[in-house]
Amino acid sequence: MLLERVRLSNFRNYASLDVEPAPGLNIFIGSNAQGKSNLLEAIAMLATGKSFRAHREAELVRSGALVAEVGGDARIAAGRLRLRCSIDRSAGSTRKTFDVNGAAVGFARFLGRARVVTFVPADLALVAGSPALRRTFVNAALAQASPAYYRDLALYAKIIGHKAALLRGAVAPDRDLLLAYNDELLAPGRSLMGARSAFIAEIAAASATIYERWHAAHERVRVTYAPNTGKTDLAEALAANVDNELRRRQTLVGPHRDDLRFELEGRPLAAYGSQGQQRTAVLALKVAEYEVMRARAGDAPILLLDDVLSELDAQRAAGFLAALDAFEQAFLTATELPAGLAPSIAGFVVRDGRLSRLAC
Amino acid sequence: MFHLLNRPRADAQALADAIVALKDRVQLCSRCFAITEDDPCDICCDPQRDAALLCVVAEPKDIYALERTAAYNGRYHVLGGVIAPMDGIGPAQLRVRELIERIALDDPREVVVATNPNAEGEATALYLSRLIAPSGVRVTRLAYGLPIGGDLDYADEGTLAKALEGRRVLA
Ligand SMILES: [Zn+2]
Repeated sequence: MLLERVRLSNFRNYASLDVEPAPGLNIFIGSNAQGKSNLLEAIAMLATGKSFRAHREAELVRSGALVAEVGGDARIAAGRLRLRCSIDRSAGSTRKTFDVNGAAVGFARFLGRARVVTFVPADLALVAGSPALRRTFVNAALAQASPAYYRDLALYAKIIGHKAALLRGAVAPDRDLLLAYNDELLAPGRSLMGARSAFIAEIAAASATIYERWHAAHERVRVTYAPNTGKTDLAEALAANVDNELRRRQTLVGPHRDDLRFELEGRPLAAYGSQGQQRTAVLALKVAEYEVMRARAGDAPILLLDDVLSELDAQRAAGFLAALDAFEQAFLTATELPAGLAPSIAGFVVRDGRLSRLAC
Repeated sequence: MFHLLNRPRADAQALADAIVALKDRVQLCSRCFAITEDDPCDICCDPQRDAALLCVVAEPKDIYALERTAAYNGRYHVLGGVIAPMDGIGPAQLRVRELIERIALDDPREVVVATNPNAEGEATALYLSRLIAPSGVRVTRLAYGLPIGGDLDYADEGTLAKALEGRRVLA
């Protein structure tokens, strides 16, 4: 897909902005705190309906204003797409509304109309960081790719929330109620596990090809799905842990504790790989995510790279930029124009919430 | 409220009296916990109603919804909500004990659980079916479906997926 126009009003430090990005690579150059990452955040919101970095959504509304808006016009395989997301903080709490081609829709029907793959410096911790980080990676990709996945994920989270509250409660947990929650978890839990297993198998296959392309087959990392229940069926695993959960007063098994495993020659990458090998693994994972999403949707997602090049050494940065040629449209932020770029890029200088076109 | 400010004092007094009278007259049925003027309520007293069929609902307003269908001829039991530990609501906060006692006493042929098709309504239904199962009484759940007169195009994916799961054989 191709984003042809982006409009912001009262979003972060932008009073108003109307920009027409180019196909291929778009680069936003500027010093810190000028608003270049805010642009990527806005574009990501058009796909996911959520900020990839705000802790409170009220932060998204420019200081002094009550309503922020992000709008985008895109061309997709099926035709044209007009998206709008508005964030209203006038009522004290923050309220978001969405519309697609001029018609108001709920969050679930907005999510995934546009698709993005984001790559931010925090992603570099994917291999060595907590399992929650890796689950978020999988969930964010699959929720965009499939409304059913998002629905199962939201339902599963709600049930787990009640189950955890039951176990934590002041009175001794009701065993029958715990078993009822276990029954209820089965259908969405199995769907999530099935979708994750299929997705990660596709990611693994794509990332193997990427290592070949980078002539780095010798340091090829294998990524596999590590379900919390191992090879045991979810129903059996839940049943086997009822007494344990009642005793420890917490939920112990289920896909909310799943993980991704990265291995280098059969050993855990986080413990045995160098920092450089871990970073290469993340780059390969992100490119693989992009390719799997493109293959599944029959339409390329938009790639958003927030200040990641500065975190990479020259060789990896060059390898990654070379791979960028294959992308339909990408947005990248940097403090200065990276060396070794194709001449066909569109550059923008970002200063204090304003954009000017860079003559290349 | 603003409308009331512009009216004579007597109007406001009349409204207040009406609310108090309503409060005095209306009570919960001691059998099914529906809102009623007479205890037991009309439905519990109606001899034409099938006493062996019991429908469990979360709120009294759900009874009116089911009654409007004119498709149900059994009796009701109002739980007073659904189980939601995150909001501090467990079985003890609802009329679950009363339901189990009533089933033991009345020995119905079937209990229909008509809670909402969301996380809490579903958990409540699964929990009740676990409690009722030892009595040997049949427990059923409302089916999910498409709105009648609706358009497949406009049904949300969740409803459509559930309707597919619950499809029935025509030939
Ligand atoms: Zn009654």
